[in-house]
Amino acid sequence: MSDFYQTGIITTLHKLGTPSLERLEAEIREFSKKRPVALVLPALYSEFEGPAMQGIVRKLAKVNYLKEIVLVLDKASEKDFHRVREFMSPIATEVKIVHNDGKRITEIYETLARNGLDVGQRGKGRSAWLAYGYVLARGQSDVIALHDCDIVNYSRELLARLCYPVANPNLNYVFCKGFYSRVTNKMYGRVTRLLVTPLIRSMQQLIGQHGFLMFLDSFRYPLSGEFCMVTDLARVNRIPWDWGLEVGSLAEVYRNFSPRRVCQVDIAETYEHKHQPLSADDAGKGLMKMTIDICKSIFRTLASEGVVFSEGLFKSLSVSYLRTAEDAIMKYEADAAINGLEFDRHSEAQAVEAFTRAISQASQVFMENPMGTPLIPNWNRVTSAIPGILEMLKKAADEDNK
Amino acid sequence: MKTVAFRKDVQEQLERIQQADIVVGIPSFNNARTIGHVVRAIQAGIAKYFPDRKCVLVNSDGGSVDDTLEIVRRTSIEDYASIHLHHRVEPMFKIATPYSGIPGKGSAFRTIFEVAEALDAKVCVVVDSDLRSITPEWIELLVKPVLEDGYDYAAPLYHRHKYDGTITNSIVYPLTRALYGKRVRQPIGGDFGFSGKLAKFYLTKDVWQTDVARFGIDIWMTTTAIANRYKVTQSFLGAKIHDAKDPSADLSAMLYQVVGATFELMETYDDIWKPVRGSEPVTTFGFEYTVGLEQVNVNTGRMLNIFREGLKNLSKIWTDILGAGDFGEVERLGALQDRNFRFPPGLWTRVIYDYAITFHKKKLPKEHLIKSLTPLYLGRTASFIMEVEQMGQEEVEGEIEKLCTEFEYNKEYLVTSWK
Amino acid sequence: MTDFLNLILEPLQEVFAKFRTFMPNLLAMLVILSMGILAARVLRAVLVRFLMAIKFDSWSDRMGVTTLLRKGDLWAKPSLALGAIFFWSLIILVLMTGLSALKVHAIDQLVEQFFLYLPRVFSAVLILIIGYVFAGFVSRAVLIAAVNSGYHYAKLLAEALRLLLTILILAMVLEQLQVAPGIVLAAFSIVFGGIVIALAISFGVAGIDAAKRMIERETAEKHAKDTKDDIEHL
Repeated sequence: MSDFYQTGIITTLHKLGTPSLERLEAEIREFSKKRPVALVLPALYSEFEGPAMQGIVRKLAKVNYLKEIVLVLDKASEKDFHRVREFMSPIATEVKIVHNDGKRITEIYETLARNGLDVGQRGKGRSAWLAYGYVLARGQSDVIALHDCDIVNYSRELLARLCYPVANPNLNYVFCKGFYSRVTNKMYGRVTRLLVTPLIRSMQQLIGQHGFLMFLDSFRYPLSGEFCMVTDLARVNRIPWDWGLEVGSLAEVYRNFSPRRVCQVDIAETYEHKHQPLSADDAGKGLMKMTIDICKSIFRTLASEGVVFSEGLFKSLSVSYLRTAEDAIMKYEADAAINGLEFDRHSEAQAVEAFTRAISQASQVFMENPMGTPLIPNWNRVTSAIPGILEMLKKAADEDNK
Repeated sequence: MKTVAFRKDVQEQLERIQQADIVVGIPSFNNARTIGHVVRAIQAGIAKYFPDRKCVLVNSDGGSVDDTLEIVRRTSIEDYASIHLHHRVEPMFKIATPYSGIPGKGSAFRTIFEVAEALDAKVCVVVDSDLRSITPEWIELLVKPVLEDGYDYAAPLYHRHKYDGTITNSIVYPLTRALYGKRVRQPIGGDFGFSGKLAKFYLTKDVWQTDVARFGIDIWMTTTAIANRYKVTQSFLGAKIHDAKDPSADLSAMLYQVVGATFELMETYDDIWKPVRGSEPVTTFGFEYTVGLEQVNVNTGRMLNIFREGLKNLSKIWTDILGAGDFGEVERLGALQDRNFRFPPGLWTRVIYDYAITFHKKKLPKEHLIKSLTPLYLGRTASFIMEVEQMGQEEVEGEIEKLCTEFEYNKEYLVTSWK
Repeated sequence: MTDFLNLILEPLQEVFAKFRTFMPNLLAMLVILSMGILAARVLRAVLVRFLMAIKFDSWSDRMGVTTLLRKGDLWAKPSLALGAIFFWSLIILVLMTGLSALKVHAIDQLVEQFFLYLPRVFSAVLILIIGYVFAGFVSRAVLIAAVNSGYHYAKLLAEALRLLLTILILAMVLEQLQVAPGIVLAAFSIVFGGIVIALAISFGVAGIDAAKRMIERETAEKHAKDTKDDIEHL
């Protein structure tokens, strides 16, 4: 149970009291008549063999307020595709599966590539982006919700609370981010706790008040993969295709809209999903790559807002970050102690060391090539370059699903 | 480049006159009712303000079948040098009557330019032949900036009824201002003064066989002067009152001619307008005074009906041009009640820019493209009329200023999409 | 005994002789076919390479040609699709030429007819393309003009016109291809005539009310137009 304190410059929607799921879903159902809601699920085939997907499908089968569900399937063969269709069949809502490795969608990616539109490498960012295009092509939904497919304790409440703020026409939010506490028997969410928050706070120390940093700092869980937005954002936003996806999306929202129209919502008591192994040395794998991409994303956004980065700033940043992160560890240790949670100080410290290295690597990469951060062009740009692209995408997905 | 050989009698006249300081050109076509007044005003103006200058009046007629020519001849005083010409009009123009009612106005102007060149004139002035409100002062105001103050081009500045001149107010002025960075308030006024140097420059341009020369000569003259960095100014002339309007004038034809010419010019001068950002004011001659203007009746209901019909029937064309996002916004406007109907200036700006881009990309035949703008234009006009219903002249100018700011602010969008 | 042997051998010898005269022709055909297929392959590769060099795929993406292909559920790259069309056209040509090498009279006639028919196919395709563009142009012009004069049924009128023109074009194409010309003519006359008669009847008899309303609506609008709108747009 949480309090009702409003942090930062965006609105925070807490879980207060015991809100009824029926009422929530009924209200969303009403709203969806004027503002239909689409659900986008970026998924790997391997997730269908995991423990989470079945639960998600079972819960989704009982949801009656969605206009459409778009599942983007990555790393799947033809057979896998058909198995997934079977798997999703209990859901009453119309489900369209975008088969990334299928012949038609592959041809769509090639069409984009040969016209000079770089949509990046395979990954969640690219899949989500393609799904937005499909939702735009169908032109039936005004709201897009997105969440991962590896949530082990998925519930209808999660989805309903995620959709509500944007679907409700009286509330006027264009973007809503989900947050939750990643605690079971120990605290998870190392990247948020030990990288993002200390990094933002130390940057604020170094460069002073900056709108974007205040905005980022307002989010209780900026790396959450669950969010909901109005479809128009899908036209205009440019999202990164690497691990900087979440932070980069927040940056685009910050650029294009006032923080008054952004909120975050408490979507679950606890949340469990897959954990990335921390490979301290291999920068291409796991958490290291994620960290570097996130840092690059933050640096790029700040640079575009006028912050001047120099060698000196980066040096100070490393030092300041280390200090702030060490302080953070102490705070978390205290929190874990009072709540009887497991807390391994050594591995936390190791993580901080790894993150420090990642920050300096990211600084180097950024200094060498500040423009070289990967943003997928927005759909407005794509449709003006290739006017029929949305029709082609729609045809491809529809044919695949026949 | 003189490819038009003057008729023998005109040639003789030119040789007799040899040289002139000021050439005043009046293109005409069946303007018997008004042209007498125009000629007298011009003569009085010359006599009053430039008595020691050598002036020639050129009437370039497009084959009038009423008394126009007679009246001009009669009105010209004997000691006054005047030349009467027929400009060449292709037979087609007599059938396809453009808005001004003067077939081939471009050819008329060209002839006037050539006379100016032949006579090595310092200043050339052209005026509309159906003006009821012209005074002798107009001559001074259009000639003096060029003759004595070193300007090359003097555009007119009128006080018009707030409901009049909507094509200028909502399309041509904001667009020209945002493109070329000069706040020429009435670029298609129709009454201009320009230097002999500029007249010679106009003649070097090979546009006389195109649509621009046929119907878009006014905007062409203004744009060419600005784009080629001639010194441009504007002179306040007072009220502009035409002869009674031809009721069968087709609005979509008007739009096609004027807006089409403007878009064509964007093609020619794209290197010049792309880097320009913002705009600067243009010096204004003359003393601005408020003019009492007659009541103008409007029928916004009918305009909104055509807008809604357009929305229903042209949705596919508009979606192709505007894109789904902007078209969605236009669609939402269609659901509004008449009283609440407001066409946001930002949306209108993007509409015009999208049309310019589609024109550039040649996705549709030009005529179809611009004529499909008509219902949108009527929607915007109706909205504007309702917004300014209670406003005074100054407030209305403020609204137009807001629209111009939107055009300048969104220019990035135009430039990036113009590939 | 030798007579009996001869009786058996003679027909065999005849067949063998016939076969011998036929063999070179057969061989010629096989050679032509194999060389032709090879040449077609090579030419296709050259064409595709050329198209890729001039960025044909990118052009067709931007022009909407690719979209048309995709609408027909064809997912090959445009350059490859064009290459395939080219290839199979060449194959047909090669086949025809090969067959004519057999010097079998019946086949020769077939081949001749095929090549005589080819120009008709080209002109039919031409009529189709030009007709399609023309119908689109005219119907769009009518649509815009009708909308701008405030005509309520503008879209209906434009679509009806497009339909009539399309029927006309299709009839012309079928006539070119000489596909059952008598039937096409009759069918066309019936459809066209039928449409005209239906319009006449509906306006004259069955649609009196609708026509009356349409006309009243028009005169009312024209009346409203005449009453007040002095605005000077220019």
